[in-house]
Amino acid sequence: MGSPLETPQPLVLHERPLVKLGRVALDAVSGVRALVSLFLRTLWFTFRGSRPKGATALQAFEIGNRSAPFLALTMAFIGMILVYQSAVQLGRIVPDYSMVGANYAELLVRELGPTIGGLMLATRVGAGMAAETASMVVTEQVDALRLCAADPVDFLVVPRFLASLVMTVVVIVLCSGLAYATGALTALVAFDVRLDVFVNLSLVDFGDVATGLTKSLAYGAAIPICSCHCGLAAEGGSAGVGRATTAAVVLSSLAIIVINFFISASAFLVGL
Amino acid sequence: MGFLMALSSRLPYRVWGDLRGFVASLGGGVLLQAATVGQMGVLLSRIAARSTPARLDRRELVRHMEFMAIESLPIVGVTALFTGAIVIIQAAPVVQRFGAEGLLGWGAGFGVLREIGPLLTALMISGRVGANNTADLGTMVVTEQVDGLRALAIDPIAYLIVPRFFALIATLALMTIFSDVLALVGAALAGEVLVGLTMHGFYNGFTSGLIEFKDVAHGLIKSVAFGFIVALSSCHFGLATTGGAPGVGRSVKASVVASATGIFALDYFLSFVVP
Amino acid sequence: MMIAPLSKHPGEGDVIVRFDRIRKSFGDKTILDGVSFDVRKGEVFFVIGGSGVGKSVTIKHLVGLLRPDAGDVWFDGVEVSRLTEEEFFPVRKRVAMVFQYATLFDSMNCLENIALPLEKHRGLSRGAALVEAQRLLERVHLGRYGERFPGELGDGMKKRVAIARALTLNPEVILFDEPTTSLDPVSARRVDTLIRELSDTLGVTAIVVSHDLTSIFGIADRIVMLYRGGVRAVGDRAHFRETKDEVVRQFVGGFADGPMEFG
Repeated sequence: MGSPLETPQPLVLHERPLVKLGRVALDAVSGVRALVSLFLRTLWFTFRGSRPKGATALQAFEIGNRSAPFLALTMAFIGMILVYQSAVQLGRIVPDYSMVGANYAELLVRELGPTIGGLMLATRVGAGMAAETASMVVTEQVDALRLCAADPVDFLVVPRFLASLVMTVVVIVLCSGLAYATGALTALVAFDVRLDVFVNLSLVDFGDVATGLTKSLAYGAAIPICSCHCGLAAEGGSAGVGRATTAAVVLSSLAIIVINFFISASAFLVGL
Repeated sequence: MGFLMALSSRLPYRVWGDLRGFVASLGGGVLLQAATVGQMGVLLSRIAARSTPARLDRRELVRHMEFMAIESLPIVGVTALFTGAIVIIQAAPVVQRFGAEGLLGWGAGFGVLREIGPLLTALMISGRVGANNTADLGTMVVTEQVDGLRALAIDPIAYLIVPRFFALIATLALMTIFSDVLALVGAALAGEVLVGLTMHGFYNGFTSGLIEFKDVAHGLIKSVAFGFIVALSSCHFGLATTGGAPGVGRSVKASVVASATGIFALDYFLSFVVP
Repeated sequence: MMIAPLSKHPGEGDVIVRFDRIRKSFGDKTILDGVSFDVRKGEVFFVIGGSGVGKSVTIKHLVGLLRPDAGDVWFDGVEVSRLTEEEFFPVRKRVAMVFQYATLFDSMNCLENIALPLEKHRGLSRGAALVEAQRLLERVHLGRYGERFPGELGDGMKKRVAIARALTLNPEVILFDEPTTSLDPVSARRVDTLIRELSDTLGVTAIVVSHDLTSIFGIADRIVMLYRGGVRAVGDRAHFRETKDEVVRQFVGGFADGPMEFG
C-alpha cells in the first residue's frame, strides 16, 4: 500500500510543546489584529454606513427581550448563591450579618452584575450572533450581500454592535436589580437579616457605579465584535457553523474575563 | 435587497406583538421547555442503560478525555489566573476597611474553592467542550453520520454518547482542580503586585485553618454535578439537531444556554445542600 | 389514492424484500400514500421517480431509519417495521445502506471507517480489522487510499469507500441512495459497474434509488417508478422502454414537456 500523497492529520494532539506554544502565540496575535480591524471597520460604518432602517431595532429586540428571561433566571440564582456563600464565610469569623447587604450592593454594582451578566450574554447572544452570521456565510448569503455592493460589516455587524451596546447595559442594570432582590430575600430567609438592614447603599459610591457601567459598555462592544468575527470567518458547511459558534462563545467569554481584569485593575489603581 | 425589506417590514409585529400572542408564546415556551426536559430524561435513561463497565468503550473514553482536556486547558488556565486576580482586587477594599489583610488569603481561597472555581470552570468548559460536543454531534446528525452508524447496526448512544458523557464529567472535575490551583496563584500574584500583600502573607492567610477540606469537597461535588448537566445538555441538543448548517448553530446556542441555566440552578440548590 | 394489496406473483419464493401499502407523512405533508412492491433475491432493483417523490424515504423503512405510519415492510419473511431499535440490529447486519452523501465518519481515515463495523460486530482485533478493511478497500479499487481522511477524497471515491464499508458484514441486501448523483460521468459508471459486479459475483441484492437514466438503463434488472405517493410502474428495462404510459415515457425520455407533475 503506501499512499503516494502526504496525509495531513486533522487534529494535532502531540505537537511539541514549544512549537505549539509558538503557534498559539502567533494565532493570538493575528486574532487580536483581526478583532481590532473589525472593530475599527464597525465604528467607521456606524457613522458612514447605509444599513436598512429597523435592523438595529430588530437586533435590540433579539438581545434585549429574548435574552432577558435567561439572564433574569441566572442572575436571580447568582444573587441567592452569593449572599448565601458570603454569609457562610462571614459566619466563620464574626456572626454579624449587618454589613452583608452593604458589601453585597457594592460588589454587585462594580463586579458581579456586569461580569456574570456579561458572561451570560456572551453565551446567549454571542452564540446566537455567530450561528446566524456563520449560517449566512456557509449558505453564501454573505457573498450575495457583497454582490449587492453591501458591506457585510455594515449590514450584519453594525446593527448588532449598536443594539448590543445599548441593550447590554439595560439588561445588566435590570437583572442586577433582580439579583439584589433575590439576595435580600436569601438574607432574610436563611440568616434573618431584616430588609431594612440589608438594603444599605452607603458603600456604593460614584466610583463603583462608573466602574460597573464602563464594564457593561465594554462587554456590550466586545460581544458582537468577537462573535461576528467568528461567524464571518466560518467555512465548510455545518461543521464550520458549529466550530464558529463554539469559538464565539469561548472568545466572547474570554474577552469579558480579560476586559474585566483590566478595568478592575485600573479602577483599583486610580482609587475609584 | 428584497429580503432586507421583508425583514424590516416584519419588525412592528415582532417588537410589539399583541398581548394574546405574548401569552400564547409564553405558554408555548413553557411546554417546549418541559418537552426538552422530558427528552433529556429519556436520553439519560438510555445512557444509564448502556453504562455498564463491560459496554463502555474505554479507548473512545480516553481519546475523548485527552482531546477535551487539551482543547480546554488554555482557556481554563487564562480564566482562572485572571479570575483569581479579580477576586483579590475586589476583596482588597473590603478587607482594608476592616484592617484585616491577613485574612485576604483565606477570603480568596474560600471564594475560589467553594464557588468561583467550579462555577467559572463549568461555564468555560460548557462554552468550549460542551459547545464543541454539540457541534460535532449536530454535524454528524445533519450529515446523516448518525443514521450511518445505525445502518451499520452500531448503537449511537453506546458508541457516540456514553464515552463523551463520562469524558466530559471527568474532564470538568479535573479541570476544576487545575483551575482552583491557578486561580489561587493568580490571586497570590495580584495580591503581591497590586495590593502589596506578600506571597507569604497570602499563604499564611490561606492556611490559617479557616479553610477546611470540606470546602474543597464542596467545590468538587458541585463540579461533578455541573459536568453532568453540561454533558447531558450538550449531547441532547447535538442529537436533536435538525435543519442543516443553520440548525447546528441553533443547537450550539441552545446547548450553552441550557447548560448555563442548569449550572446556576444546580449551584443554587447544591450550595444549600452540600455542607 | 388507490391502495391495492399485492397480488401473489409466481416467483413468491424468491422475494426477499416486500413493501406493502406503506404510508408516510412528515407533518401534514404526505409523501408515501400506499406504496407496494417486491424485490427478488439477487437482482439489481431500481427505485426511480422525480425529486422529492419519496424514493429515499421508502428504502430507509427497510433498515428502520424511518417507521411507516401504516403498512408493512417484510424482509426475508419477517415483518420488520414494528421492531424496536435493538431488535432492528440483526436486520441491519443483513441489510447494508450506502447513503447519498456517503456519510463516512469525518474523524477516521478510510481504513478505520471500514474497520469500525468489523471490530464492533465480528469481534476482530483492531489489527485484524484493519487487514480485512484493506482487503475490502482493494475490492472497490481504492487500495492506495486507506490512510486518507474522507475530507481529502473526491465524491466518487467516498461513495466507493462507503460501499466497501457496507460490504463488511457480508450483507444480503445493499441499499444505494442515489449512488451516482453529483458524480462525474466516469466515476458514475465505475460505481454502476461495481454495483453490477457485487450482484453478479456475490449474489447481493441491490436496491438502488436513482434518477440517473444511464445507470437505470445500464444495470437495472427491474425498476419501480414512484409518482405522486404511489407506484406508477414496475417492470424490467424493456417494459420501461416500451411503455405507453405518458408519465413514465416523459420521465425515462427526460422530456421537459409532458403530463408529469412536480411537487
